[in-house]
Amino acid sequence: MYLTRFRVNTGRPGARRLLSSPQSLHAAAMSSFPGLLPTTTDGPRVLWRLDHNARAEVFLYIVSPERPDLTHLVEQAGWPTAALDPDTPGWQTRPYAPFLERLTKGGTWAFRLTANPVHYIRRKDGEPTKRTAHRTPVHQKAWLLDRQERSGFRIVEKSDENRLLPSGTTHKGHRHHGDRHELTVREPRSLAFSKSDEAGPKRHRVTVVTATFDGRLEVTDPEALRHTLTQGLGKAKAYGCGLMTLAPLPTTTE
Amino acid sequence: MSVLSLRLAGPLQAWGASARFIRRTTESAPTKSGVIGMLAAAQGLQRGDDAGLAPLSALRFGVRIDQPGTRIRDFQTAHHAVTGKSMPLSERFYLADAVFVAALEGDHTLLTTLHTALRAPVYPPYLGRRSCPPSLPVELGVHPGISLDQALRNEPWQASAWHQKRHRDRPTVTLVILREATSAERDGQEDVLRDQPLSFAAEHRRHALRTVLSTTVNVPNPLARPARPPGHTVPHHDPLDGLEEETA
Repeated sequence: MYLTRFRVNTGRPGARRLLSSPQSLHAAAMSSFPGLLPTTTDGPRVLWRLDHNARAEVFLYIVSPERPDLTHLVEQAGWPTAALDPDTPGWQTRPYAPFLERLTKGGTWAFRLTANPVHYIRRKDGEPTKRTAHRTPVHQKAWLLDRQERSGFRIVEKSDENRLLPSGTTHKGHRHHGDRHELTVREPRSLAFSKSDEAGPKRHRVTVVTATFDGRLEVTDPEALRHTLTQGLGKAKAYGCGLMTLAPLPTTTE
Repeated sequence: MSVLSLRLAGPLQAWGASARFIRRTTESAPTKSGVIGMLAAAQGLQRGDDAGLAPLSALRFGVRIDQPGTRIRDFQTAHHAVTGKSMPLSERFYLADAVFVAALEGDHTLLTTLHTALRAPVYPPYLGRRSCPPSLPVELGVHPGISLDQALRNEPWQASAWHQKRHRDRPTVTLVILREATSAERDGQEDVLRDQPLSFAAEHRRHALRTVLSTTVNVPNPLARPARPPGHTVPHHDPLDGLEEETA
């Protein structure tokens, strides 16, 4: 497994075309694998995510079983002349497997995840269920907290003095997950684009609601967490959702 | 010495000091003759009552420009209402959306009488021209025991909310004060304006020269909002931190 980071040059027209279309960006990410034909339907699981840290600091992260070659992305949406130097090819790829092997039960990490939180609803009896997005931060948090056990981690709870609500409950004593955990939701995005079906010329609208989670987690099941980190969490993995990354917690300086 | 403060705010104001004939210009701040005339009208003084006017025009006058407003021009082609004959073509200038604080320093009893008169005026007050009514109550109050300069400095910013919001990036704003100089301050370099009223008689109005001293004051802006702190709000997260460099 490999983890790759590519910084997008947001000033370029090619970058804007890619950033505005999750389909194009997925196609670009998938075509960075030399051993993979574009028509292959059951290729390896490739996960990608865009981190908009600032207006001109946008990173594309890719987790893949094979080593990618992002030369075409550098040419379209990078700094091609700077990439002529072999020390700075325009992207960084590092082997992911040693890091995954090092995950042990009880370890704590900072994480970031961009996901598509959905549930299935039926509006009246007899109707087939329909996939529907969670739109409010409270429900989006609940969606992630609902999946933490089977995904192999537990989100760290805040200490009492850091909570706004005493003991993390409302004044009526209800549990309120808005303030219990080291977890924030930000950048709610609604991606809407049209997509043509393989079967026919008919185009239909696709709507994907995404949210970015930041927080701290404790590893409860390393094997399940490895699966989560490499296979993704939730739906819409082709549109930049489901990739969770871990980073070391900042060392507290007294 | 006491000071009577007034707030002069309205959609249109017109304060002419040297306007004659068909071109009726306006100063950029209220004139003493205009404000004294408004007070005299509130008291019910008649136009020819020069003796009644004298104590009013002896008050020391100052004004603070809280919201400068914009100067607009009206080209007027009026016709006589009865005969239908055209009146002389005239140009009239106004200050639109301006707010001023005017203050008068003098005897406490006289100022209290004027304050009471403004609350129940004999002739209604207007801002320099009959067609310019005030949009808010004119009187702000009588402040005993302070000077004209102090009164103009102490008064909170009276500008409209939209004007204060427009300057929200500034915790204090600098306002211009135009006031009569005391005899100690006079050095012959001040501006003069012919707006010291001597007589409002209809057949022959007379005004004397008045010295005007220009200073500034910094007044807090109640609607100032601090700018957002610089730097982005996205938490730091670099997954490559946890990964070893590849050994070549």
